Amino acid sequence: MNIMYTIIYLIAAFLAITGFHIQSEKYLRSMVLGLAIQSSMIALISFIFGIILNSYTFIILGILVIFLRVILVTYFLINKIPRSLSYVYESKVSTTYMLILDFIFIIISIFIVYSISFIHIVTITYPVKNILLFPLLLFFQGLFLIASRKRTIAQVLGYVEEENSLIILGVFLLPVPIIIESSVFLDVLILVVIFSVISIEKNVHEKMEELRG
Amino acid sequence: MIIIPLIILVIPLIASIFYKNIKNSTTIGAIIEVFMLIPLYLLNPYKGFFYIDNVTFIFVLMVSSIYLLSTLYSRKYVHDIKNSGISENLYYLLMNFFYVAMEFALMVNNYGFMWVGIETTTISSALLLITEKSDTSLEATWRYIIIVSAGVTFAFISVILIYYSFGTLTVTTILAEKISDTLTVRLAVGIALVGFGTKVGIFPVHTWLPDAHSEGPAPVSAMFSGVLLPTALYVLYRIYEIFPMKGIFVWAGTISVLFAALFLSYQHNYKRMFAYSTMENMNIALIGLGTGTRIGLIGSLLLLLSHSFGKAGAFYTTGDILHISGTKEMDKISGFMANKRISASLLLSSFAVTGTPPYGTFFGEFLILYSVLSIHFYAQFIIIVFSLFIAFVSINLNVSRMIFRGKYEYSKKSGSIIPLISGIISIAIGIIFLVIINAIL
Repeated sequence: MNIMYTIIYLIAAFLAITGFHIQSEKYLRSMVLGLAIQSSMIALISFIFGIILNSYTFIILGILVIFLRVILVTYFLINKIPRSLSYVYESKVSTTYMLILDFIFIIISIFIVYSISFIHIVTITYPVKNILLFPLLLFFQGLFLIASRKRTIAQVLGYVEEENSLIILGVFLLPVPIIIESSVFLDVLILVVIFSVISIEKNVHEKMEELRG
Repeated sequence: MIIIPLIILVIPLIASIFYKNIKNSTTIGAIIEVFMLIPLYLLNPYKGFFYIDNVTFIFVLMVSSIYLLSTLYSRKYVHDIKNSGISENLYYLLMNFFYVAMEFALMVNNYGFMWVGIETTTISSALLLITEKSDTSLEATWRYIIIVSAGVTFAFISVILIYYSFGTLTVTTILAEKISDTLTVRLAVGIALVGFGTKVGIFPVHTWLPDAHSEGPAPVSAMFSGVLLPTALYVLYRIYEIFPMKGIFVWAGTISVLFAALFLSYQHNYKRMFAYSTMENMNIALIGLGTGTRIGLIGSLLLLLSHSFGKAGAFYTTGDILHISGTKEMDKISGFMANKRISASLLLSSFAVTGTPPYGTFFGEFLILYSVLSIHFYAQFIIIVFSLFIAFVSINLNVSRMIFRGKYEYSKKSGSIIPLISGIISIAIGIIFLVIINAIL
């Protein structure tokens, strides 16, 4: 069974890599696909846990992730990217500097949050407690994506990434009741629908004089 | 007896079925909701799928009343909007969902479902902000969605940690257990303060608040200010009850009150000024709840109840002012004295939100300050008094300028009666409290 836990650890590490990939990506379409891969990894972890722990709730969770996050959310987002905008990268700061900034932000955040508090929390579903580093890393990655980008779609991706981190945190820590977990999915789906309404009128978010102060 | 809270949740949904005539069905539904408070009061206390106690009842009373007032005020206001982002029927539909989400978050006996309720309020209310469509309102809506959702998502970690610590999310079961001082519980309460605090308007995660309040239509701003923020505060209070972290809660409230007072002192937009006033009042209520004393709790409930009517009145009045003057800039507005109804409701509501005696807000603030002193938080006490003074002077000075300064230009057009009623209820709450206290003593 140890090999299964090692596989989970490797996939969790891969989640962190997808987070950095989305942050560094210049193309909106590739960012969405990166998020779809990230969600698929979460579904995979959930399925493996379902097999190891012989728990059907993990299997349901995995199916929900695939159906709502990998298929529906990706479909909605991809359809909202105009072909002419699919290559746009809004930030004037170069990717390298943005990634360095991202690293600094995440390392400081993780150091504060994990080393002070989460290090004392024992995971129930996983034998090694430092696995919690990955969901936390993903959470701050999502926050940074929201803060660093101006485009509506990039900010939505940051938000979905944040919620992905919560699902994986719940999975590693202990199985949260499935009804509560499902509401998180519903929440993301509706947010994406609202995004679709707003993005028709407004694609970029700049500072506005009327909303200052 | 689960049927009574269920009826409260179902009535607005039934009203929404009559989509073609939703304006009237919503109004009838809102009136029934206020009458449903009587059986709900008789049901109190109740523990089951729903959890109703005195605290819950006060919040439900607030939400139902402001929902009714906003529905009545919306009838003419929304109809007159020229550049509408959503249709009138959709407006009432979203308003109903928004109301149900708040009532659900208040009455449900489960931290997980409370979180669901709070998140649903964001989803249902977001599109209401673009009722008066403009580039600015779209930006404000987006900021509201993204900032509040990110904050409430953070609060989900708190829910996970509560479940991790207790193995259940049922409020009454957790509160019945002995207070357990573990790092996980502390972490859960602390994260809830930041997460749900985003919706309450705690500094520095308050940034969505002035934008949403200033760009939303007047009845929606009234709902946001009068009841949405208190609903989030209620959920935060229920989590605080698990393990009262007095120091952190009172300090967070104190710093937020100070910044709210400073921010509102230099506003040019009257809606933004009232929005920062909401931030100030919510954080004073948070301080009262955070003291963990009975006096603090009573003070907070009194403040919130009186504030909900006062602030709703203030926002309804801003709707009338915007309709008549066509601007949100305070410097461009003067001479409202000639319009007796608007000037009276503006004065009444601004006195209400700044804690002028004999309003309920004054007694609420007084009790909260007393409770802060009773737990020996002297530094916080001084900062709060200083902030209250700044807020009182800033708001009343600006409102006085709008009413008494310059030529009387707006005498011919009259405003709605709803803001005036709202302001009078706010003062009545203070007087009733005074009579009750006098009878007890």
